[in-house]
Amino acid sequence: MASANSLRSLMRPSIPVAPRLYPIISSSFSTTTALSAVTGRAPKSSVVTSTKMKKSFKKGGGSASAPMKKPNPGERKAFRKRIQLSNNSALAVEGIEVLGADTLAQSSSAGKMFSIPDEIIDQLRTLEAFKATQAWNLFRKPHFLARKEAVELASRLENAATKKEAEKIVLTGSKLSGKSLAVLQAISYALLNKWVVINIPEAQDLTNGNTDYAHIPNTEPAVYSQPVYIFRLLQTIHKANKAVLESLKVEKDWPLTGLQKGNSLAELILTCKESEFAWTTFNALWTELTLPGRPPVLFSLDGLSHISKLSQYRDPAFNLIHSHDLALIRTFVDALSGKTKLPNGGAVIASTSGNNMQFHPSQELVLAQLEAGQSGNPIPKPDPYEKNYDERVYESLKNVSVLRIEGINHDDTKTLMGYWAASGLLRNIVNNHTIREKWALAGNGNVGEMERVALLTMRM
Amino acid sequence: MAAGSRDTAKNRSENGDATNDGRIERTNTVPSSPSYFTREPRFNDLYIRLTQLLNKYHRLPTLPANEAPTLPWMKVDQIRQQLGEPVKSSHFAKMIRVGKRLNLIDPSLRPNEVDIVLRQLTRNIDPYVNNMRPITIDKFGRAIGVGKRKESTARAFVVEGTGEVLVNGKPLNEIFGRVHDRESALWALTATQRMDKYNVWALVRGGGTTGQAEALTLAVAKALLVHEPALKPALRKAGCVTRDPRAVERKKHGRVKARKSPAWVKR
Repeated sequence: MASANSLRSLMRPSIPVAPRLYPIISSSFSTTTALSAVTGRAPKSSVVTSTKMKKSFKKGGGSASAPMKKPNPGERKAFRKRIQLSNNSALAVEGIEVLGADTLAQSSSAGKMFSIPDEIIDQLRTLEAFKATQAWNLFRKPHFLARKEAVELASRLENAATKKEAEKIVLTGSKLSGKSLAVLQAISYALLNKWVVINIPEAQDLTNGNTDYAHIPNTEPAVYSQPVYIFRLLQTIHKANKAVLESLKVEKDWPLTGLQKGNSLAELILTCKESEFAWTTFNALWTELTLPGRPPVLFSLDGLSHISKLSQYRDPAFNLIHSHDLALIRTFVDALSGKTKLPNGGAVIASTSGNNMQFHPSQELVLAQLEAGQSGNPIPKPDPYEKNYDERVYESLKNVSVLRIEGINHDDTKTLMGYWAASGLLRNIVNNHTIREKWALAGNGNVGEMERVALLTMRM
Repeated sequence: MAAGSRDTAKNRSENGDATNDGRIERTNTVPSSPSYFTREPRFNDLYIRLTQLLNKYHRLPTLPANEAPTLPWMKVDQIRQQLGEPVKSSHFAKMIRVGKRLNLIDPSLRPNEVDIVLRQLTRNIDPYVNNMRPITIDKFGRAIGVGKRKESTARAFVVEGTGEVLVNGKPLNEIFGRVHDRESALWALTATQRMDKYNVWALVRGGGTTGQAEALTLAVAKALLVHEPALKPALRKAGCVTRDPRAVERKKHGRVKARKSPAWVKR
């Protein structure tokens, strides 16, 4: 079994102060509870310390018997969510081509391994395109296999940029089949070709009620923004697309921001210093990006089913808010349905999640119908007894094209297993029999399962 | 006892209280068998008959045990049912031992009366009727193997192919979450290095995951043997040929489970 950490050190990784998920925005004189939680501990209350409370009813000392240090707030979550992109225990693999700007879109790249160039690794990390569930931590450097579907995806992005049309794609497929990796490959392609990339790495963060929301004034029916999330997203967009955004000048007049005509879009983002103005700034940025003469935009989202259902937020009448009434999601959905045109070309990619899936009948129906239409099969009809169909979801998805990602073929398996063997992770001889065996055990070539079968299963 | 009363009636008629010359020897009725008043008269009669025959013929030449003809010996339950007597299993074992000794007598020299008695100790079956139907490859190139384990039954349709596997219409990873179960399902193909030469389409019903996986092992192995009969020793060595007869042990009264005893309580 391959391990992410070498067993030389069984120490807990030292993360001095775990980074918070959301930045705390406040002035230096403020004494909010959130600030005091980070900077120092609360002043000792004399009431608590003076009374001698019996802490435990267990015999033999209780807490004195366990001298272990407790993890800092957020440390365990940071450990769980950390992305480790290299492993010195793995062997370096020589002779793998570095991904170039137009490499992925060429049909000759199908079935080859590529290494992710160093300059976009930080950008991908900022955009949270790497997932903690992917096995990057087993290898010396991040590489990926350009499978047939990835090449198709990249060539469609290329077409979209040249034709100046929006490519609207939904990625589906079974669990662990590589949908999120296909999104990562699309983002890599976009970054290398100087697109502007906006990525929502987990759609459920937007709808499960864990971030704050506010009614946007003068909207009827009501639309809600999520200030802190959008503020953080703006910072991400700025950090990941800094070079591109700095070269683009603001064309419209944005009176509230105090920007001049010659300022760049990067400066537009930086004018937003507080989360209250996040949605206005994002809206301004999105409007500027959809003006003619801008670079293509890639807007991607992972976990489509979470934005198809009712969110966990409530309106003033205490009804659940539909996810499409959240402003950021509405921006995405409008782009996905083709309601917002992308005049400079670009792509809107939504990927379903296999593991964290919420069943939604309309989404299932429309995707099945689109897929049947694409392959020329008879179109499935809606179930007359199903009452949970949602017209808004159906409308939002009816113009997309569905790209199904399932298992890889035997040749790709051979390439991938050759890479694993060269990294020193797979000890078997890579021959026809081993390839077919792992391929079958992984459910006919499911990549994630193949990793599990070949690399992550302990053999005694 | 029903058998006893029938015997009494018979004794009266044929035992003959009178001798040939007309003189009356006994005035009371006497049972024909000396074991009439025992618990198992018919069984004892049979045992006495066997021992008499062994005494009579024990000097006849015998065969070594492995060369003697194999007989489907009676089981203790069947002899109880046939004779209608509560035969003890230890007594039955003794009788069978004598019967087996008589069976060792060379068949060419064996007297007819021994054969007649031995026939009472054997089951009335023809071992040649109960043959396994050979599996054949049908016109689509499929060999169908059936395997069982615990409560599960599996049918595997094995064709020549490239190593694709579907169980109940789903890929293996959706049926078996554990990698170990997936490996055991395909163990027949893996152990013989045939994974790249066959496709498997299987149906599994009943039981749990382990049972289903190991039922598949057997089913795939049986179907593979139809394609390549020469693999039998390899498959036997890999443990794919024999059906695992183990099943859940029954619960006993006075116990919490099959073996677990209740907690000790003082009073």
